This record gives sequence, C-alpha cells and structure tokens, in this order.
Amino acid sequence: MILTGSKITEEVRSGSICLDPFEESLVNPNSYNYRLDKDLVEITYNVDDIKLLPIQHKLIIPEEGYVLQPNKLYLGVTYETIGSPKYVPSLIGRSSLGRLGLFLQITADLGHIGTCHKWTLELTVVQPLRVYSKMRIGQVSFWVTEGLELLNGHEYKKEVNSYAKYSEPTHSQMEKLLG
Amino acid sequence: MILTGPKIHEEVLNGNIVIDPFDPVQLNPNSYDFRLGSKLKVYKNLELDTKNENETETIELTESGIVLYPNKLYLGHTVEKIGSEKYVPIIRGKSSTGRLGLFVHITADLIDIGYIGRFTLMLHAVQPLRVLPGMRIGQVTFWKVFGDIKLYEGKYQGSMEPAASQVYKDFKLKD
Repeated sequence: MILTGSKITEEVRSGSICLDPFEESLVNPNSYNYRLDKDLVEITYNVDDIKLLPIQHKLIIPEEGYVLQPNKLYLGVTYETIGSPKYVPSLIGRSSLGRLGLFLQITADLGHIGTCHKWTLELTVVQPLRVYSKMRIGQVSFWVTEGLELLNGHEYKKEVNSYAKYSEPTHSQMEKLLG
Repeated sequence: MILTGPKIHEEVLNGNIVIDPFDPVQLNPNSYDFRLGSKLKVYKNLELDTKNENETETIELTESGIVLYPNKLYLGHTVEKIGSEKYVPIIRGKSSTGRLGLFVHITADLIDIGYIGRFTLMLHAVQPLRVLPGMRIGQVTFWKVFGDIKLYEGKYQGSMEPAASQVYKDFKLKD
C-alpha cells in the first residue's frame, strides 16, 4: 500500500517519516516533492577497472542554472533529508521533469527502511536541459511493509553497503560488493 | 497491494477506476495495456530550460507511424482516458516495448490519485524505432492506498493530448 499525502504529513509529525525540512506545500496526493541541492558532480567511471576512483568534476549550480548535457551522468543530491524507520521510500523524478527528458534515478528508485539522509540523485538527460538549485525536481513516495519486526536484530549492514552515511553526491561503491 | 486484472475489470464496472475506452482484451493478470494515441509533441529547441516555457510542435501520426530517434524527446499520449479516485496508478512500458529499447515514461511512473485524463507519455528510444498509432505500448497498474485521500487538482488534470512540462510555473511561485 502506498501512503496518501495526508498520511505522509501525519507520519512526518509522528516521527515515522523523516522529511527535513518539511513544507506542507510540497505534499502531493500520494508523494512529496523534494528539491535539488546546489552540489553537482559530473562523473566518469574508469572503464578498465571498476575499483578505481571515478573522475569527478564537482561544481556548484550557479544562480543562472546549469545545463546538463546528454550522454553524461551527473550526481546531485536532495536538499532534504529523506527516510523512514517504518515505510519503504521510493524516489523518482516529477512528471514535469520527465516531460523535459530528465531521468532522475537510473533504475534504482527503491530506498532502504531505516536510513535517513540526503539522497544522491542520478541525473541524465535526453536533450540539453538547464536546471536550477532548490527547484522542485522529484517526488518520494512511501510504502507500507509486511514483516517489519523481522528487521529487529538484522539491522541493515551500514558499514558494508550503505550510502546512508553520506549527504553529498556520492559515487558508486560497487567495488565493495565485488568481494 | 496491487490489483489483479479481474479486480481492475470489476472496479472499472463499479466506476472506481476510469479506463475509457475499455476493452477486456487489453487486461493482463495484474495490469491493463494502454495504446499510443495519434498525436506527438516535440520541443522546437534542442536545449530546454526548466525555468521558461519550451515551445512545442505537434506531429499527427498517420497509419505508417513515425521513427523515433535517440537524443530526441517525444511526448505522446494514451488513447484511453485513465485514472482513479480510489487507487494510485503506476505506468510502465510493456516488456515487448522495453525489448525494443523504448522508454514510455521518463522517471515519473507514479500518477496522482484523482488525476483523470489521457496520460502523457515520454517517449525515448535507445535505437531508432518505428512506432504506430494504436499500438499497445504500455501498461497501467493500480495500487491500494493508506490514509485519507485528497484528490489531485494539479495543472495537468484532464489532459486530452500530450501535455508539455509546466514546471516553469513553479518559478513564479513564492519560494
């Protein structure tokens, strides 16, 4: 089951959903609009060795915005801290941005219960597109789970494969999963 | 929880789901296939700006359809008017579409509860691909909600043709 906007608001107040800062004007019928923070990284991974650090061109989105170019991957970050100890977050772009050809999150829209941080956004565009910091760029929905009690004693292995400790655009750490 | 095909059928008959026109042939075990409408919109400029209105031009599809090219975004629409005041629709392509390298939406698969209209499709092909009007291009699923329902009253309500982005209107609001 997906939470309605009213339920999201209620659960933010009760502490079961973390959306910080929270503004009621950003609540949709069944999701919450998050904003794009000012930090952006243009990233290039090493094609020969996935374990090598990627080349990162870090920038701050200026007042006049920044034009994303096709065939490039950018990492951004949400302005808000987002998460929940109780519901599963799913984070995607807004249709208003999809209508301009902006992908937000590439294939992996699913969050982990129990994490709360500023999410790294994976951005890529079909046509060049100017974006601005603090614009409402995406939406996060929250889903009811079954078996929440099973998480007790099986906390998410934060040190191994979690990005939850990061609140800036963070590159893939696939090498940690290679063993 | 996701609705099964028979439940979608039941809720269409009960009026809790709008799919118009509705044909049971397009029902799947847990979704409904929508078809590509005959009108596409493309942006006139290559470079787009979220802060300003981006002009579009309309393409009317003939029976022979159109070849979509990578690096260009095409806005399409569903033949069907779809929506619900009880369930949340989520859309995606059919696997037959994905196997052709065609995206039918970009990033936003989630529809607001209370939106009723033709869906705007965000068509993006990985390789050049011919699409035909009326083809079954994607599927819509319906999901149960938790909490009090406030219906969508947004700017895209009731669209009958591809609706270009109106995100520029955000910048006119007080921050």
